[in-house]
Amino acid sequence: MMTTLDDLLWSYQSLIYGLGTNAILGLSMYAVLQLGQLSLGQAAFMGIGAYTGALLTLKLGLPFPLVLAAAAAAPALAALVIGGPTMKLSGVHLAIATIGLGEVLRVAYINTDAMGGALGLSGIPEKADFSIIFGLLAVILAGFILASRSKIGRACEAIREDEDAARVMGIDVSAYKMTALVISAALAGLAGALNAHFSSFIGPNEFAFETAVSILSFAILGGVTTPFGPVLGAFVLTALPELLRPLHDFRLVFNGLIIVLVVIFLPRGILGFRIRRTGKPPPC
Amino acid sequence: MLAQQLFNALVLGSVYALFALGFTLTFGVLRVINLLYGFYVAAGAFAALVAVQSLGLGLWAAGAFGVVTAGLVAVVCDFLVLTPLRRAKAPELSSLIVTLGGVLLMNSLMQIAFGAEVRRFPARLLSQDAIAIGPLLVAPIQLVIIATVFVLVAALFWFMERTRLGTAIRAVAERPDTAALMGVNVGLVVSGVSFLSAALSAAAGILIGLDFNAVHPYMGEPMMLRGFAIIVIGGLGDIRGALVAGLALGFLEVMTAGYLSSNLKEAVAFTALILGLWLRPNGLFGRASGKRA
Amino acid sequence: MNRRTVLAAAIVSAATALSGQAFAAEPVKVGAIECLTGLNAKYGTMIKPGFDLALDEINAKGGVLKGRPIELIYEDSASQKEQAINAAKKLIGRDHVVAILGPTLSSEMFAAGPVANERGIPIIGTSNTAKGITDIGEFVFRTSLPESDVLPVTLKKAQAKFGIKKVALLYSNDDSFTKSGFDVFKETLDKLGIEIATIETFSTKDTDFSAQLTKIKSLNVDALVVSALAEAGGGLVLQARQLGIPKTVPIIGGNGFNSPKIAEIAGDAAEGVISGSPWFIAKEGAQNQNFVDSFRKKYNMDPDQFAAQAYDTMYILAAAFDRAGEADSKKLRDALIKTENNGLLGPFKFGADRSPATAEGVVVTTIKGGKFTLLQ
Repeated sequence: MMTTLDDLLWSYQSLIYGLGTNAILGLSMYAVLQLGQLSLGQAAFMGIGAYTGALLTLKLGLPFPLVLAAAAAAPALAALVIGGPTMKLSGVHLAIATIGLGEVLRVAYINTDAMGGALGLSGIPEKADFSIIFGLLAVILAGFILASRSKIGRACEAIREDEDAARVMGIDVSAYKMTALVISAALAGLAGALNAHFSSFIGPNEFAFETAVSILSFAILGGVTTPFGPVLGAFVLTALPELLRPLHDFRLVFNGLIIVLVVIFLPRGILGFRIRRTGKPPPC
Repeated sequence: MLAQQLFNALVLGSVYALFALGFTLTFGVLRVINLLYGFYVAAGAFAALVAVQSLGLGLWAAGAFGVVTAGLVAVVCDFLVLTPLRRAKAPELSSLIVTLGGVLLMNSLMQIAFGAEVRRFPARLLSQDAIAIGPLLVAPIQLVIIATVFVLVAALFWFMERTRLGTAIRAVAERPDTAALMGVNVGLVVSGVSFLSAALSAAAGILIGLDFNAVHPYMGEPMMLRGFAIIVIGGLGDIRGALVAGLALGFLEVMTAGYLSSNLKEAVAFTALILGLWLRPNGLFGRASGKRA
Repeated sequence: MNRRTVLAAAIVSAATALSGQAFAAEPVKVGAIECLTGLNAKYGTMIKPGFDLALDEINAKGGVLKGRPIELIYEDSASQKEQAINAAKKLIGRDHVVAILGPTLSSEMFAAGPVANERGIPIIGTSNTAKGITDIGEFVFRTSLPESDVLPVTLKKAQAKFGIKKVALLYSNDDSFTKSGFDVFKETLDKLGIEIATIETFSTKDTDFSAQLTKIKSLNVDALVVSALAEAGGGLVLQARQLGIPKTVPIIGGNGFNSPKIAEIAGDAAEGVISGSPWFIAKEGAQNQNFVDSFRKKYNMDPDQFAAQAYDTMYILAAAFDRAGEADSKKLRDALIKTENNGLLGPFKFGADRSPATAEGVVVTTIKGGKFTLLQ
């Protein structure tokens, strides 16, 4: 009896781990959406983290915590570099420029043999496990919740509503934007490295356009008014292809249909109804 | 060789421009990143294929059939999927996600209907032999592409400038609420734009299908990425910009592959995008919009 | 409470004992992970009928292990490696299969192979041709000939026949299979002393090669060597001839060119295209003829190399089961190493590295009249 239960859990293991790493990605998207910034570079940052982590483990055999730290730091540094120029962009321009980052990196990975080229990196040992992934997720989620209840949360809301007014009120908008971008990059990189260490294989085509849109949809589907939104969105969209497996050929049809229906009937996302944070009512 | 490469650039750029025109229209007027746009490429190609194989139509008739069918499909899809969101005044991003679901749904349905294998237009539709024109070797399909794009673009510009619906579209693109106040039937305009842009997309799909001799459900996806780059470089909603940027991208890609290294060809679009955003953030013809307090 | 538990236990043990009697007809469960939807569905949807045809034939003759039918459970990987991993885990953890066939793509095998290997479940790739597949572990097998076995045969023959001294080498650089093919081509060309005038790349999804081909035309090479999948390959051949690269400059392709799609897409331009394969549709022999006829009759389309390889692999698996004597994964693995088969791909057995031992059956083909024929 015990073996069957173990088997069952093991067979769902990748799915469960995937729920965790995708939730982290959803939160990385949330970080920039909080400021109203449509920066879609998460897939590219995820790729940087995944490759950094995989290469450090495969070539240098570094201990896992160190690998994770490096995998978070590398994309954060990249974010610092591209943060300046992208600050001037907004809306769709920012979105498309940041998607472009993923595509340019993809071409770079393909043409670099040291990174495996088109063959990618395989044989990555399985070092990520349930407690690491969900432990990190819990910590990150707690961080977001605390931040949203504090002055940081209020500043974010102000920036989201009206950037210029916020600036006039003394909020350092550029600093907030840059910090959000760096945090978003670090989280995405972390998720990428975790993913690499339970998928055993990464390839250059996994961190480009489709992934970027996928990560965006985690956040939008779940709703961006609370940190739980992107987590829920990630859970739903990751589990859906697996849950629909019995439908065989019609699997993707239903997958698409569900997304369409959810967005039409819940345009603010599944958890979007919580418009106001709990807190003291504003003074009259 | 230079002459031939320039001709190659013209052909490639024409297809890019055609695709980008419809894409920028959708974006400029409907204010939506419509991922279904890539699906209409395949929809048009398959419709034309069906017209040739089952209805026995010739090249131009089948092309027209494909284009019109895709346009109608788009009107229905966009209506079903985007109108409820517009009515609920949903955040812009929801449109992106809903079209993501939509494209997943439609591509899968298409695969179920037509199968995953690659199909081709029958060879009898168009001669495959190259024609020598001066130093150039030109395939008939390449001439068809250039001619078609030229005609369609001219028609589009005429339509936008000289007809009532075209003017209405431009009005809605500029200021939807004011246009509505001025008596413009916004619903009709939206449907018109859906039809038009999908028709352009379908035309691009049919031309690609003929040129490359392959039609399959996912054929529109590679164009989407380049499309993003082109419409941003050209200016969102700016059809002159889309035309110029499309041709320019074709030129850049061919020259890079022909004279630098073909390894870099894939990166050209987004490198051009980054340069474009740096040098001309409002598009090729954009006027700098001042920030109003 | 106690009496009920005892009764329940008694019923359970009785049922277990009785079910032992019904053991004889219990199906042997085998899993198959293939790309049935998504970008690479065209390969998975040819492999599946290959498996199914062989499966029906084998089960009709009584199955394996003295009368047990093989039950094949398909899972779709939708051309995505995460789904390939999930599929492997489902098949092993929930369906308790004894062996797995597939996955379709080399990149999927790199992801799912370790999963099966770790659990001691033999996994047999029928279409993976990249380098290093069987290095994943000792439960990983492949029946498809790696490019490193086929391409050198093709090039040597072409060189002998056409006196090739200088070539242009093209490949799609964003796919692990075509990149592997390129590596082999380059190495072999260097070994044969053939000059590579230029190396050009393109993307798997590209539809325009005019820039690269125009450049190549000006270099006056003796042949074009191409590592690409069928669609891009067909388009490339078509454009090459349209741009005026004459038929006296043959086009030599890798494994991706073994598909009838090349002739379909390129039409007349495909005449004279050369590739190598352990199987082609007009291969002589009653066995192949029967296969092709049955396939055509049942599925209303022509089989391709993927279907043929899948068909042979199913027979190899069945033979291995019989050799193993029971539906046990470890015994199956040991039996597979020793299994021999004479199938559509010619005489077959596994080498010590669990890839095919010989490339004896490889033939070099050329397209004549839209069909594959032997290159004389």
